[in-house]
Amino acid sequence: MGRLFWKFFIFFWLAQTTTVIGVGVAMWLKSPERDQQHAAMFAPQSPAFFVASAASTLRHGGHEALRSLLQEQCREPVPPVFAVDENNHELLGRPVSVEMLEQANRLMGSQKNGGLAEKITADDGHTYLLFAPSFAHPYPDDRWEHNPPDGHQGPPPRGMFPPLMPLLAGWLVSLIFAALLAWYFSKPIRKLRVAFEAVANGNLDERLEPVMGKRRDELADLGRDFDSMVYRLQQLMDGQKRVLHDISHELRSPLARLQAAIGLARQQPERIEDSMARIEREAVRMDTLVSELLTLSRLEAGMAGKLNEDVDLNELLSNVMEDARFEAEASGCRIEFEEHSRAIVRGNAELLHRAVENVVRNAVKHSPVGGLVTIRMQKNDAQTICICVSDEGTGVLETDIQSIFEPFFRSDEMKNSDGHGLGLAISRRVVNSHQGSIYANNRSSEGLCVTITLPVKPSA
Amino acid sequence: MSTHMMKTKVLLVDDDVELAEMLRVYLEREGFEVKAVHDGETGIAEALHGHHDIAVLDVMMSGKSGIDVLVKIRANGSMPVLMLTAKGDDADRIVGLELGADDYVPKPCTPRELTARIRAILRRSSGAESSSSTSPITVGALSIWPEQRCVKWAGRSLELTSTEFNLLEALARSAGRVVSKSELSEQALGRSLARFDRSIDVHISSIRRKLEPLPDGRSRIQAVFNKGYQLIKE
Repeated sequence: MGRLFWKFFIFFWLAQTTTVIGVGVAMWLKSPERDQQHAAMFAPQSPAFFVASAASTLRHGGHEALRSLLQEQCREPVPPVFAVDENNHELLGRPVSVEMLEQANRLMGSQKNGGLAEKITADDGHTYLLFAPSFAHPYPDDRWEHNPPDGHQGPPPRGMFPPLMPLLAGWLVSLIFAALLAWYFSKPIRKLRVAFEAVANGNLDERLEPVMGKRRDELADLGRDFDSMVYRLQQLMDGQKRVLHDISHELRSPLARLQAAIGLARQQPERIEDSMARIEREAVRMDTLVSELLTLSRLEAGMAGKLNEDVDLNELLSNVMEDARFEAEASGCRIEFEEHSRAIVRGNAELLHRAVENVVRNAVKHSPVGGLVTIRMQKNDAQTICICVSDEGTGVLETDIQSIFEPFFRSDEMKNSDGHGLGLAISRRVVNSHQGSIYANNRSSEGLCVTITLPVKPSA
Repeated sequence: MSTHMMKTKVLLVDDDVELAEMLRVYLEREGFEVKAVHDGETGIAEALHGHHDIAVLDVMMSGKSGIDVLVKIRANGSMPVLMLTAKGDDADRIVGLELGADDYVPKPCTPRELTARIRAILRRSSGAESSSSTSPITVGALSIWPEQRCVKWAGRSLELTSTEFNLLEALARSAGRVVSKSELSEQALGRSLARFDRSIDVHISSIRRKLEPLPDGRSRIQAVFNKGYQLIKE
């Protein structure tokens, strides 16, 4: 249990205990008054009850019925009710002291007599005063003793303190609830801490989703945010690791050639020019590889740069064409550009240029001498534009048609070419980051056709 | 040396055409006759029928890898084999040695280092050093004829690669005594032992598999912790 648990626990518990005590005290202070009225009015065994029953007996059953009722009551342990007529004659002939009569008359006079005295005219013409005296009845125990209306006596003797058991129970329950509440808050925080620690130690497989369970609150949201953060971190780390692995792998070949060339230069100083040219070539290759890898890893990591320029695709394609024409001439093939529409695309001009250029250069590279590379640009519909780059080379094996966009893929005959198989991979990443798509298919005649589809910027 | 008249023939199998070409030029200047091929299939065909003295195999080749070629070569004899493995990739190295390669060179390597390794393997496997004794080295049921590069166990001849032969010979010459790993490396591999180099252990474990164990079930070649290996003298 951490500090947070104890803090929550103690605060909640204090709050609850205070509330319980407050409410308890208030109730306790208020209750005697209410209890007294209750007891006087409704308690079936109270003197007022017997006065009331005697009164209704007299009213409905006459003085004979009252006589027999009172006689009956004399034999039972109930508060005695006296019935005195206007001549101060008690109905059963019991002696009635002057004090008792005085008290009864006083009770009759006051409004709040609690039903302890009543005056009723009976069937025999006498008017009886029915009352239950508060003293001098034969039962010494004070069960029925009530406060006189002037209330000089204290509260009824219910003990000096509120009852201990309910208080203890309340205290225990509040203890349990406080603990539960504190646990409910501190548990996910503890889990978070454990997860953070795990991630700090390099374990990026840690997830909070299963730990949080069905919880739906800010803490669960925090857990979910944590998960997405770790997932992103993991993606980045994996990307970096893969790139590192690929770099070390891909750098090995040019390095091996570099070392072989250096060895040759040492062994055969007469051919040093030849060896130097080789060494230079390998160095350039490594440079290209490293920069391509960096671009790719940046794209994979989602750090593509700003994608908010308006790019004129027609201009971009003409630029690509101009650059590629040199290369095409060197390898003895031609390039044609068919513009069927104009389009503005929202994105990053430099990246898009690179993406298209890679596809075009790839086509040129695979073109036979005298072959034709066609770049066609046309609108698919109002929202998308597609750029098709087709060549007249040998095409790609159907089984490899998906893999050509994977990093480091090279068809067998290109194994020893200058490329590293990163160009098309970069193209795909760029196009994807522009919400477009890229795919390749073998043409029915000969060669490969790579199609890039991009969303067009709405003209409005 | 018997190779004075005839050049040593090296078979180089590497799918990097440019690299293979440069290595060929280099090795030819060093006095070898080199045949460079660029894929596993051709490599296997050449190795089995080309009468080469040593094969240098690149492990990382598309299609049939150097390991595949090695397996085919070992299935047909004990031609010395040097593997070119990726630096830092222990798995390739161990697998190569387990399958009977004589030694490995991490790639990228200098051509000079490659040449030195080739020479070391050839020197060990030529077995042409004049030895006065025509009688075999005998340890229990084990008899070794260094001149004929022939090992017999209780009259039955054992198939060992040249590195394994050299190791067993070195152990047998000092049977009953501990031979240190660096000593074994010098004698069997012709080079000093690199740090964290497990080659000797891998070779020893393949010899163990070929020798019958002691009656009590222990191996005849015992590892002595932090010291080396010892051939048990009965």
